[in-house]
Amino acid sequence: MTHPVIELADLHVKIGKREILRGLNLELRGLTVGLLGPNGAGKSTLINTLLGFWKPTSGTARVYGHDVRTEARKIRSLIGYMPENDSFIANMPAISFVRMAAELSGLPSDAALERAHEALFYVGLGEARYRKLGAYSLGMKQMAKLAQAIVHGPKLVILDEPTNGLDPQARLRMIKLIQEMRALGTMNLMICSHLLRDIEETCEEAVILKAGQVVHYSNLEEERASNRRFVEIETEGDDGTFADAIELLGCACAVTGPGKIKTVLPEGIEVRDIYRLAADRDVQLRRLNFRRDSLEDIFLKAMER
Amino acid sequence: MAVYKRTYRGYNGPLTHPAWRFLVLQRYAFKAVFKSRFLLVGYVGCFFAPLLAICLLYLNQNSSVLALVGQKPGFLKIDAGWFMNFLTAQSVLAGIVTAFVGPGLVAPDLANGALPIYLSRPFSRVEYILGKGMVLGSLIGSITLLPVLLMFVIQSSLAGYDWFNKNLYLGNAIILSSLLVMSVFILLGLAMSAFVRWRIVAGALVLAVFAAGKGFGAVINNVMRTSDGYYLDLQYLLTTAATDLFGRTAEDAPIAPWSAWLAILTFCGLLLLLINRKLRVCEVAG
Repeated sequence: MTHPVIELADLHVKIGKREILRGLNLELRGLTVGLLGPNGAGKSTLINTLLGFWKPTSGTARVYGHDVRTEARKIRSLIGYMPENDSFIANMPAISFVRMAAELSGLPSDAALERAHEALFYVGLGEARYRKLGAYSLGMKQMAKLAQAIVHGPKLVILDEPTNGLDPQARLRMIKLIQEMRALGTMNLMICSHLLRDIEETCEEAVILKAGQVVHYSNLEEERASNRRFVEIETEGDDGTFADAIELLGCACAVTGPGKIKTVLPEGIEVRDIYRLAADRDVQLRRLNFRRDSLEDIFLKAMER
Repeated sequence: MAVYKRTYRGYNGPLTHPAWRFLVLQRYAFKAVFKSRFLLVGYVGCFFAPLLAICLLYLNQNSSVLALVGQKPGFLKIDAGWFMNFLTAQSVLAGIVTAFVGPGLVAPDLANGALPIYLSRPFSRVEYILGKGMVLGSLIGSITLLPVLLMFVIQSSLAGYDWFNKNLYLGNAIILSSLLVMSVFILLGLAMSAFVRWRIVAGALVLAVFAAGKGFGAVINNVMRTSDGYYLDLQYLLTTAATDLFGRTAEDAPIAPWSAWLAILTFCGLLLLLINRKLRVCEVAG
């Protein structure tokens, strides 16, 4: 069995006298993982611990089975990191910046140059690659940071607030790029954000941190799948037997009010079967909704704990 | 370079040896340093005096040329004092180069928050400091160690084996004194660059460490009627240590060579502490 991408076992991290991470236990295997939490939840500390910038006070953290305490260098060779804050060298052209990043990751000079060109084209900075980073707009700087994070072909890319400060168009471009990277399936992505929409649009799994602890783990793919099976119906002209008829189809069903039914569609039963049933019984369907338990609902519930 | 496909692909090619990756930083830093024509001209100017000195060494042993000006071979006394004075003069130039180049090494990285970019790779803080330090080291070494050592070799070849055998200790003194100057200047340049993110101020601080130390030292010596003020005078400490290596320590020297060495080591230790404290990835936002 392959190692989980990230494995945390009772991970405690203290910075100074303050305990930032308090006994995190996690095992993440998804292709894209979202790290959510309010400010001060410990998201950046967790990332910095995975990168080996902070040492665990107790417990263990592993990336692809490598311990952050003893194999930080190996872990860093597998990771591409896009920091949250401005991180660049202002008077350096983007091409040199990304090339240097690749060379520092161990790529020979020629290969680094070739891949720097490719990475910059990939993130949409091809035409601006010879311009100095100091002259870039915020959106372009974010893309340059993404380029340096993927230039050496890492197995895991950690993106810390990738859409921070971007205008809606630039944000969409960034989200699309992340979705493309996910679709390639050749690397794992860990996206740290406080923007729920970003996580919802890009991730399969979401971990919600609060005060240094995991308060919720959600497999968004499964949630989406289960949401697709949970249906709320409002009817008109039902003599009270429509719910029984739905149950006869094999669906679990609950009547929540006059003409209001909640049902879970089992495998093999589709919405069109409900429509057909309603037509057969001459019942009007006034409303038919899939449940929309959004990430925002999940997040707010988690925060209440 | 033409890029035909806008796509992403992994990398499975060969990797460079981790032990030499710090040289990547040195290469990029050199490019940045020599972009400035002012620095380039200044650096080239540092070789004017060594070139002149090498010509003098040659002339000093060339009887036919000396006969034209009515001098005999050996009219210049080439001894420990000659090499030491020359090394001191070159060290002053090295100090100025440090003040100009040093601040541009670390300060921009700190000002732009670039440390996480370097250190999130298989690249340690020690390698980062080594890479940046190598830039100053190679510049200072080429101004101090190389020309003075070259002069020693040329003088040895011109003056013969007896001179070389008698003055072999000068070779050691040149190497050790130059390494001492290099180490102190590298640490000072990096520490000031890490301490102050504004390049001009950092450069001024490098020079101020020498000037202020000398000034305060002189004040303490005069007011307190002591010689303890010399411990604040970095230039004096370096000269005392070098004088010791060249075997020219005067009996009535105000401070003992061993105490000068101790003071220099303490100073270097403090600079290392400062570098260690400042060069950290300190994103503690979350």
